[in-house]
Amino acid sequence: MKRYVLLVIGLMMTATYLFPLYWMYLTALKGSSEIFQYPPTFWPSDPQWNFLEIWKNRDMGRYIWNSLLIAIGVTILVTMLGTGCAYVLSRVRNVWMEIALFAILMMQVLPSSLMVTPIFVMFNQIGLLASPRIAVILAQTAKVLPLYIVLCRATFVQVPRELEEAALVDGSSRIGAFFRIMLPLARNGILVTSVLIFLQSFGEYVYARSLIAKNELQTATVGLQTFMGPNANDWNGIMTYAAIYVTPILIVFMLLQRRIVSGLTAGALK
Amino acid sequence: MQGIIRTIRDGSGFDILLLGLALVYLVAFSAFPIIYNIIMSLQTVDMFTITSFKRPFVGLENYSTIFAQPIAATVLWNTVQFVVLSIVFQLSIGFGLALFFQQDFPGATYLRGLFLAGWIMPALVVGAIWKWLFAGDFGVINYVLTALGLTDDRIFWLSDPNVALYAVIIANIWLGIPFNMILLSVGLASIPRDVYEAAELDGAGPLERFRSITLPLMRAQLGAVISLGVIFTLQQFDLIAALTQGGPADSSNVAQYWSWQLSFQTYEISLGSAVSVLMILFVIIVAAAYVRSTRHEHSY
Repeated sequence: MKRYVLLVIGLMMTATYLFPLYWMYLTALKGSSEIFQYPPTFWPSDPQWNFLEIWKNRDMGRYIWNSLLIAIGVTILVTMLGTGCAYVLSRVRNVWMEIALFAILMMQVLPSSLMVTPIFVMFNQIGLLASPRIAVILAQTAKVLPLYIVLCRATFVQVPRELEEAALVDGSSRIGAFFRIMLPLARNGILVTSVLIFLQSFGEYVYARSLIAKNELQTATVGLQTFMGPNANDWNGIMTYAAIYVTPILIVFMLLQRRIVSGLTAGALK
Repeated sequence: MQGIIRTIRDGSGFDILLLGLALVYLVAFSAFPIIYNIIMSLQTVDMFTITSFKRPFVGLENYSTIFAQPIAATVLWNTVQFVVLSIVFQLSIGFGLALFFQQDFPGATYLRGLFLAGWIMPALVVGAIWKWLFAGDFGVINYVLTALGLTDDRIFWLSDPNVALYAVIIANIWLGIPFNMILLSVGLASIPRDVYEAAELDGAGPLERFRSITLPLMRAQLGAVISLGVIFTLQQFDLIAALTQGGPADSSNVAQYWSWQLSFQTYEISLGSAVSVLMILFVIIVAAAYVRSTRHEHSY
C-alpha cells in the first residue's frame, strides 16, 4: 500500500516538474485567441494544428538544416579526435597522463559566452568568419571535446585490460587491437556519448549567434530568438516552433534515457 | 622512417599520436584563445583595430575602466545572487527529490529519469517556454499565484527591475534540478543499506539517520555537485538571452552576459575581454578545486 502512495506522490512531482513542457505543447495546440483567455484553459477547447504553417512561415526547414549540419559536423569531428584520446587516457597511467587529463578537465568548464570574444577576433583575423558554419563547428568542437573524452574514458576503463593484452600476445598490432577489440567493446558508450554531444550541439546558441552574420546560415536557436523579438505576442506560433524543434530531441532522449543517465553519472563522478 | 611507422603501428607512438590529435586541437581552439584573450584585455580592441595584428598596449586600463563603470557593482552583485540562489535551491530540491526517488516503489527509476528531459532541452527553448509562463497579463504563473491567493496583483516578472533577476534564477533552478538530483542519487545508492538498518535497531529516527549517516557519507558528493553547480551556473547564457537580455536597465545582468554585450553589442571588445579573463580565472579556480577533490578519492 505504502508503495502505491509513494508512486502517486512521485507521479505528482514529476508532473509538476514537467508542467512547462505540457504548457508548451498545450499553447501550440490552442487557437490564437484562446491563449489570451484569462483565466487560462488547461485543455485546448478547439485544438489547432498549425505546425506545417509555422514550419513554412518561419522558414524552419532552413534553420533546422543549419543546426543539423553543425551538430553532425561537431559530432564527427569530436568522435574522430576524442575516441583515441579517451582510450589512451584510460590505458596508460603516468604523470604525463595525469597532467593531460587535468588540462582536459579544465577545458571542459570554459563557458562559451566568455570564450567567444577571443575566438571571434581570432577567427576574424584568419578569415574563418567567411565560412561561419565551419567556424561554429570548430568552436563548438573545442567546447564539447573534453566532455566527450571524459565520458568515453569512463567507458574504456570498464573494458577489461586482459582482452586487449590477449590480442597483443596473439600477434595483433596495437592498431589492430584498438580497432578489432577495444572499439567494438566500447561501442555502446561511444554511441551514447556521441548522441549526447549531438543533442548539445543541435541546441547550440552562443557561437551561432556571435559568429554567423547571415540569416540564411543561422541555426534553429537563433531563429527562435528572432521569432521571440522584443514585442512578441504570437506565443501560439513561438510555442509551435519550440515544440517542432524539441520533439525530436525528446524522442531520442526517451529512447536512450537509461543509457544517458548511466553514462552521465559515470563520467561526472570519476 | 620505418622506425616511426613501426612505433605508430605498434608502440608508444600509437598512444602519443592518439593523445596528440586531441591535445593539439584543444591547444589551438581552447588554450590559445585564453592566452589571446589575456593579451587583448591589455590592448585597445574595437571595430577599427579588430583585424590589426599591431594594437597599442594600454596596460591594465581596461580593467580599471570596467570597475569604474556604474553597472559593475550591480553586475557583480547580480552574479553572486544568481550563483548562490541557483545553487542553494537546485541542490536542496534536487537532494530532496533524490531522497524521495531512492525509496522503493514501482517506476521510481523511470520517473526519476524523466526529470532529465528538462536538462536535455536547448536552454534557449527552455527560456522561451519560461518567458511565456512568466508573461505578465496572460502568464499561467500569475494565474496560479492569484488563484491560490498568494499575490493580489499580477507580478510583471520580466519587466519589473525588482524581480527580473529572480525570474531568471527560478528558470535556472528548474534547469539545474535534474542534474543535481541524478548525481546525488548515485551517491545515495552507494551508501550500504545495513548502515541504516543498524542505526534503526539502535533507535535512531529518520531525521537522526539523515543527519548522522546520509549527510556525512554524502559530503564528497555534495562538494562535487556544488562545484559543478557553480561551473554550470556561470555557463548560463541562453536562458538570460531568451528571458530578459540582462534588462530591464541591467537589473538582471550577470558577468558572463555583460562580457558578451561589451564585445558583441557595444563593440568594446577589449573591455569584454577583461571581464571574460576575470570570469574564466574564477571558473578555473573552482574547477581545479573540484577536480582535486574527486581525484583525491579515486587516487590510484
